[in-house]
Amino acid sequence: MDLNRMSDTKKLQLCRWYFKVGFVLLPFVWAVNSIWFFKEAFVRPPFEEQKQIKKYVIMSGAGAIAWAIVLISWAVAFQLQRVSWGSTGDALSFIVPLGRA
Amino acid sequence: MDFQNINYLVLLTIAINAITCERLHEQIYSSIEGGAACFRRLNGTHQAGCSSSLSGAVGVVHMIRNVTDAQWLVYNSSAGPYVAVVNTWLFYDIIELLMNKSENVAGVLLYDDATMRPDAFSQESRCPNEYASWSKSQCSSTKTPSGIGLVWNEKGTDLLRRDIPFPIFFLPQARMSEISKIEQCYNRYNIDKDNQKGRALCSLQLNSFMYAAVNSVVCLRRSASSAILTPTKVCDPLGDYNVYYSLFPRAKETESKKKPVTLVTARIDAASLFDGVAPGAASSVVGMVSHIVAAATLSQIIPITDVDLYDENVLWTLFNGESFDYIGSQRIAYDIARGVWPPISPLSPKNISLHIELGQLGGSLKLFEENTSWPLYAFVPYENSFPDQVSGFLNEMEKKFSINNMTLTPVFTTNLPPSSLHSFQRILGNVTENDLPELLLVDYRDTFSNKFYQSALDDHENIGFAYHNISIGSDGKFLTTDELIANGEMKESEAQVKIARVATALAHTLYKRVTGKSYTGSVSASAHLVDEMLHCFLQSQACRLLAAAEFGASEESAAERAAPLYVGVAAWAGAPAGHAAHLLALLAGAPRAANRTACDRLDEPGFSYYWLKGWNHSGVCIQTTMNFSQAVSPAFIKADYDMTSGEFSTWTESVWQAMWARVFVSAGGGGARLAAIAGALATVAAALLTYWLQRHAALVFRDAPASLHSDASG
Repeated sequence: MDLNRMSDTKKLQLCRWYFKVGFVLLPFVWAVNSIWFFKEAFVRPPFEEQKQIKKYVIMSGAGAIAWAIVLISWAVAFQLQRVSWGSTGDALSFIVPLGRA
Repeated sequence: MDFQNINYLVLLTIAINAITCERLHEQIYSSIEGGAACFRRLNGTHQAGCSSSLSGAVGVVHMIRNVTDAQWLVYNSSAGPYVAVVNTWLFYDIIELLMNKSENVAGVLLYDDATMRPDAFSQESRCPNEYASWSKSQCSSTKTPSGIGLVWNEKGTDLLRRDIPFPIFFLPQARMSEISKIEQCYNRYNIDKDNQKGRALCSLQLNSFMYAAVNSVVCLRRSASSAILTPTKVCDPLGDYNVYYSLFPRAKETESKKKPVTLVTARIDAASLFDGVAPGAASSVVGMVSHIVAAATLSQIIPITDVDLYDENVLWTLFNGESFDYIGSQRIAYDIARGVWPPISPLSPKNISLHIELGQLGGSLKLFEENTSWPLYAFVPYENSFPDQVSGFLNEMEKKFSINNMTLTPVFTTNLPPSSLHSFQRILGNVTENDLPELLLVDYRDTFSNKFYQSALDDHENIGFAYHNISIGSDGKFLTTDELIANGEMKESEAQVKIARVATALAHTLYKRVTGKSYTGSVSASAHLVDEMLHCFLQSQACRLLAAAEFGASEESAAERAAPLYVGVAAWAGAPAGHAAHLLALLAGAPRAANRTACDRLDEPGFSYYWLKGWNHSGVCIQTTMNFSQAVSPAFIKADYDMTSGEFSTWTESVWQAMWARVFVSAGGGGARLAAIAGALATVAAALLTYWLQRHAALVFRDAPASLHSDASG
């Protein structure tokens, strides 16, 4: 989709739609939304729908960052602590490590 | 003309073949064949043994010819890591250095040089099975020898129980050609020790990647869990089968009228650090052979039909897996304690009137090679008073020994050498209030006479065994020991004769125990039989005895090498227990007049029927009380067993996919660096060129389309 050829109303609809879809545990949609509409929200000269788009872009971005913090902390904690968690650590592993703890 | 063309064509084909048929891979690597790798075993709390990385350990070859070479490798070398190539003679002196400073050591290639045999070589602990010993055992591998006194296995490196940070491969004598290949390569590329850095060097790659890690708890858990992508088994419990055979059938005995039994035991298995190498001549074979031969002799002098005449039975039992915390004897003691062994008419501890273990015998045979004597010792584990059965047996046995100028010296101590008695004391000692009447026969007193305990070098040479290859009649009659000595085929000082004498003394002493009177007949154990049996267990499975004891229907031809005696994993039945069982059946069982189908149909409680090949290979139906019982540690069958408790053996063996070693010349790194620099320069040049072209596109493409101009201008 080329945003340039889209009317501002359509853009707002699309941005809102992406924001809603992100609630279905899809943080990547939020991330895409915040980057995709960043120019529309902050760079372009003001237009009617810009305020709302700005709102959705900020909220999508915040949501994506929150998710990222959670996921990264889990990944780091899992990598560092898996061995000491013992059987729980093995049960949580998708690929059982061979030849090491 | 045509003919000439064809000739050219053929020549061309040959030329192309000659140039291309050797693949690049084969030009680079030369594989080392016939090596045996050290592998990983785990117990309830630790991992032991070796593993390489997934792709194999790579190191520069360094031939270790003296201790200084090892020190140079560890402290002064520049092109590390290295693979130390060392013979068995130097191994003991350098291995601690390599273990302690292992940063520069990628691996070890150990080889057996026939010209330089060490005086001692054992990778067992100084106190074998120390942590499965009973409480009164005093041997401690951690305390200094001066603090406590002697340890059983003085020169033991304990590598079998330690976590080794690098792979070790072993090359037997027969593969010395591989060592000369490596040595040639070493002399050509690595000989200038001071200028190795940055040069092309002869290197070795050792691959023995082990799947299991940490301890048995972790690896069994990982084996049981079925991960979605990798349902991999990473380790298996050690185990095999115990073999037992009773002089009289025990099926008809009732609980109220159960005959007491004399339990005579020995062990089947041995071990070494390396896969497929466990000759165990003095570690286990001599004891096992004495056991089987004595059982056969006793069965000849007390026929099975005398079952109702006597109130004593003899139960001959061979334990398997004893090398790893007494797996077999722990299981049997545990099963006796819970009243389920043997499955037919189970024993209770009070039914065992005496337990005699034929322990580690044979270590001093070589020492007394030129001598007719072979001093044996009977360890009696009581401090003050000891049971009458034990003293009675000892007196009788000493008398029988003295007939042939042999000595049996009793040693009264609770500090027992490693043997199955430890399991019985630990597990059954608490169940009964009486002392367990038991004794242990060995050929050492303070410390092992066998300096090659549980090692690759504990072979027939270690007991000074030379095979006589005397043919056996088609009726299975063996020449008697006296005949052999009279006709000069054997000497009194030979191992075969001495072992036969011990078996005879044991059988005759047991005769007195069972019948109450001294044996006056002339049947004795045959040194000829001992000769054959040692040959089967130490040199070749394709031997006369095993051929006769083979299943009648079997078509397989046996391998012309000895079966390794390592217990292996419980999921696979090993060859040695089967061999021992079939020999007991053939030599101590009763032939029945029945053809194969009739034999299979025979079914008398307390007996098993085997259709074996027999002495003339026409097949024979054997009735025997011999049977198998599982030798898997109670740890693996007891629900909710705490693997860290140390109560039972918890050994498991890691799974691996491949073991191989290869030698090659590794590049000095100059070529690789040059390629990387050239690549980087080319990339930068290309980027610059592209950038310049884009900026000056108008110069290059004179008639560029208008749209391009407009785009460029913005």
